[in-house]
Amino acid sequence: MMRPKATYVRPGTLTEAVDLLQDLDDRCKLLAGGTDVATELRSGAIRGRCLVDLSALPELKGIHEAEEELVIGSGVTLSEIASSAGVARGAPALAKAAAVFGSRQIRNMATIGGNICRASPAGDTLPPLYVQDAELELTSSSKTRRVSIRDFIQGPGRIDLKAGEILKCIRLKKAADFTMHRFDKIGNRKALAVSIVNLAGLVALSPDGIIQRIRLAWGSVAPTVVRSSRVEAFLTGKPLRMETLDQAYPLVQDAISPIDDARASAAYRRRVAVGLLFRLTTQQESPDSIMDIA
Amino acid sequence: MNMKEIKKIGRNWLRRDAAEKLRGNPVFCADLTLENPLTLKVLRSTHAHARIKRIDVDRASRTQGIARIFTAADIPGKNLAGIINKDHPLLVPDKVRHVGDAIALVAAETETAAERALQAIQVTYEDLPVIRDPEEALKEDAPRIHETGNLLFTRKIKRGEVERAFDDCAVVVEKTYRTSFLEHAYLEPDAGAGYVAADGTLVIYASTQNPHYDHGEVASLLGVAHEKVRIIQAATGGGFGSKLDLNTQGFIGLALYYLGRPVRYVYSREESFLATAKRHPLTITIKTGTDSQGRLMAMRARILCDTGAYGSYGIAVASRAAVHATGPYEVPNVDIEALCVYTNNPFAGAMRGFGAPQAAFAFESQMDLLAGELGISPLEMRRQNALREGSFTGTGQKLTASVGIRDCLNAVKPFYERVMEKWRHDPAPTFKKRGVGLGAMWYGIGNTGLQNPSTAQIEMDPEGSVTLYTGCADIGQGSTTVLSQIAGEMLGLSPGAIRAVVADTKYTTDAGATSASRQTYISGNAVKDAAGKLVEILLTEASNLLKRPKESLIVDSGLIRDKNDPEKTVPVTDIVRRAHEKGLSLKCQGSFDPVTEPLDPETGQGVPYATYAFACHLAQVTVDVLTGEVEVNRIVAAHDVGKAINPAGVIGQIYGGVAMGIGFGLMERYVPGRTVSLNDYDIPTCKDMPDIVPIVVESAEPTGPYGAKGVGEPALIPTAPAVLNAISDALGERIYTLPANLERVLEAAVAAGVFPGSHGVKQPA
Ligand SMILES: Cc1cc2nc3c(=O)[nH]c(=O)nc-3n(C[C@H](O)[C@H](O)[C@H](O)COP(=O)(O)OP(=O)(O)OC[C@H]3O[C@@H](n4cnc5c(N)ncnc54)[C@H](O)[C@@H]3O)c2cc1C
Repeated sequence: MMRPKATYVRPGTLTEAVDLLQDLDDRCKLLAGGTDVATELRSGAIRGRCLVDLSALPELKGIHEAEEELVIGSGVTLSEIASSAGVARGAPALAKAAAVFGSRQIRNMATIGGNICRASPAGDTLPPLYVQDAELELTSSSKTRRVSIRDFIQGPGRIDLKAGEILKCIRLKKAADFTMHRFDKIGNRKALAVSIVNLAGLVALSPDGIIQRIRLAWGSVAPTVVRSSRVEAFLTGKPLRMETLDQAYPLVQDAISPIDDARASAAYRRRVAVGLLFRLTTQQESPDSIMDIA
Repeated sequence: MNMKEIKKIGRNWLRRDAAEKLRGNPVFCADLTLENPLTLKVLRSTHAHARIKRIDVDRASRTQGIARIFTAADIPGKNLAGIINKDHPLLVPDKVRHVGDAIALVAAETETAAERALQAIQVTYEDLPVIRDPEEALKEDAPRIHETGNLLFTRKIKRGEVERAFDDCAVVVEKTYRTSFLEHAYLEPDAGAGYVAADGTLVIYASTQNPHYDHGEVASLLGVAHEKVRIIQAATGGGFGSKLDLNTQGFIGLALYYLGRPVRYVYSREESFLATAKRHPLTITIKTGTDSQGRLMAMRARILCDTGAYGSYGIAVASRAAVHATGPYEVPNVDIEALCVYTNNPFAGAMRGFGAPQAAFAFESQMDLLAGELGISPLEMRRQNALREGSFTGTGQKLTASVGIRDCLNAVKPFYERVMEKWRHDPAPTFKKRGVGLGAMWYGIGNTGLQNPSTAQIEMDPEGSVTLYTGCADIGQGSTTVLSQIAGEMLGLSPGAIRAVVADTKYTTDAGATSASRQTYISGNAVKDAAGKLVEILLTEASNLLKRPKESLIVDSGLIRDKNDPEKTVPVTDIVRRAHEKGLSLKCQGSFDPVTEPLDPETGQGVPYATYAFACHLAQVTVDVLTGEVEVNRIVAAHDVGKAINPAGVIGQIYGGVAMGIGFGLMERYVPGRTVSLNDYDIPTCKDMPDIVPIVVESAEPTGPYGAKGVGEPALIPTAPAVLNAISDALGERIYTLPANLERVLEAAVAAGVFPGSHGVKQPA
């Protein structure tokens, strides 16, 4: 395959970066961890005329925890998210997604900003961000704006990123008032797998097991992550039991629109979308639970 | 030989190349230092079946940095290669038979220049009908992929009266099993490099499993004398069968022949996926019957092997699948037919097990189905039918020794009983089901009913140092270590003290392919033979000198001494000097060719192999009925290897085999036209690996070196059947197509009615 000639720049501050972007044409590609960009350059899926490396920008780094809010820099790696006490407190489902993301090597390189901007239907940080109604902060040389993740992601690989803009950070309301924080991912193998279906779920349960509030977001079952107000409304006020979830089966089927692809059929995804819902009735296993097998 | 004296055999020896590998020293083709080398690249067909009307290289030849572009017309010798049947052109002259067929070879100053030239070559195709399905290919009016027709080979095995036997059977089960194309996915993609030596010899380094085959093939393609070619095996990062074919060697040779400049060709992972052999997908329809006691009485099987565009090792795969279709069991009446068929799929060749893994999936599923019908435990079913000394196989071979299948079953038995008693029935987590399964196998060591000799030399120099010359390619499995252990044992030397000259066709003679789990058994014997002859010379001389009977003398650590009188010694170097003075050569030739008898073309009766390896795996799995995820919790793997020359090496093979078996059983599938690279071809990761309990069973083979047989391929074969039987045990529903991926397991769960809720049965909207 032909490797395109790419010029490469690595600005040292956000101001420098946005100024630079202003002068470059939109065939320049932003580069964070490069775990998507590098593979896309190799396959020829993208042909950047130049690469603007964001990895040295201090403004994109760090996780800041406030009283009610968590602010995650777009350049924060998945490893940092997986090991952050702030994320474990304020967004446990996201922490779980980060823990099972790719492999250690990938987690050390890949950033949350890259995962959002790649806008893959299977992106693993997306469902946890959808259930917490994440807001994204975008910066250009002329202005800074905020947009909800639902509006930002428009389709597979399509995002509302204007010319000259950089995703600066992600703002989340802490999900402290939920009793269950779940993330589940189904892939062809136990690591280094693209999600065939994933599901993030937040549930506030009353002491007698009634769902008081619930938020669900499925990945890889539609062009973008699916949240369904109908499903959530239907389940609210009902006991978290198999019978209840079983009744939601047709509503879930209506909400999703999966396709057949190389990894699985639409029929498989439809069934597993509900299968993962049923899993809410069980204790979530810790990823490395050891079973007595002898 | 007195067993007490054996010190080098059966001990864990660090791989001879271990330290070197850890330091990053071994030189792979990609790392060879060459003076100003050219880069090679091949233009590959984008059409699956088409006549080539025109290849226009004019514009491409004029692009910058191009040394030359070659097409079929430039091949000076015979433009057909293939280890069993010669049907594979190096560059296609007139038609392409699969996507990936080689059309033109570019030699360029840089990789970019080569890429640019590839894009500038214009090929005019005239499409022909494409055949993807081997059943279609067999039809009377199917377009011919090769002039000779689409049926490449048939292997029949007939013994007894099958129809009559079925009539008398109490239980009969007939099913069809299917497997997929697989990619070998070795760590190092195919690579080669070379230069022309001062004397005009074309020196070719290759990542290869069979340097002497490469040698003959390159000489034939170029139409040059044998001495004009030298093949050196470079460090080789795995092969699993695919590096038995000519991959880059012919291209390197062609460029050297014309250009005389150093060249290199390293496949990208994508090219390795596109252009090299795959595992044959097999369709196996098998009918098996037993009497009311569960004794196997009859089997009929029809096996269809899709060999894709070229034969490669297809004939061997069909033959071996047929011979092994009975499993390691006595079946008095058999009627087996295996067809090897051309299609326009990627060509399929050798891959760890040559059809035996596919066959084992079928016969081991049958064993469980029969056991179920009969109400016998799967373990008892296998134990009572297992081959033993004195048994006849389907080819009419009487087994006389080293039939370790019962020992393997017995080794697994306590584990089986314990997990069936407790683990299997302890409550599983919600929405999960546990299952236990067995998979047994047999595997004939070496080529099927063919001569497959190995040769070796051992030389002692005047200082008493020993050099082992072997053509046996070590591709990471550790054969050089094992062969050094054998030589060391014979000569009373540490294996590490023996210099090894390996797989260089200038200095070593043919040891045959590193395939068919044959090198420990066959090359091990050849080395032992050579070393034995050297010992004989030394002891004869020493006997004259010491005036002691030869029988009482031994060689040990540089001395020859009398076993009965330890004071009576003479340094080996003294003997060597005497021998040299007498003009005796201390370079000894060794050889070995296992005794086989060709299979009769009509009945398949004969002696395909001199010895067989046996194994049984026990699999414990947990199946998630919501998602189809399968966790393989543990594999207990008992292997009869005859004798473990290097136990650590045997155990390493078992671990690797289990990993590959899990891939074969649960996730791997190469889809022609769609699968591109490791990006979309999933192989197991360390997280997918179960606990493994390896058990080495040693049922000594009288004709093996120190009793050894082989383990390379056997390690992989039982895993997938054991896992599939365990899934079936967990769900109460069987899967007949590999891989048993998420989708198929979930379908089985739905069919079994274990998907929870009220929507389990009907397909959702
Ligand atoms: C082996 C492997 C395993 C993987 N496993 C997973 C997995 O388990 N789950 C999963 O979801 N993904 C996985 N991926 C995909 C990939 O790692 C993720 O999408 C990752 O989060 C991308 O982040 P990055 O920093 O590497 O992004 P990059 O590759 O650098 O960029 C990705 C995209 O985002 C844009 N971009 C990056 N940062 C910004 C910014 N600040 N502002 C605007 N645009 C920006 C880039 O221009 C590019 O279009 C895997 C990839 C590989 C190679």
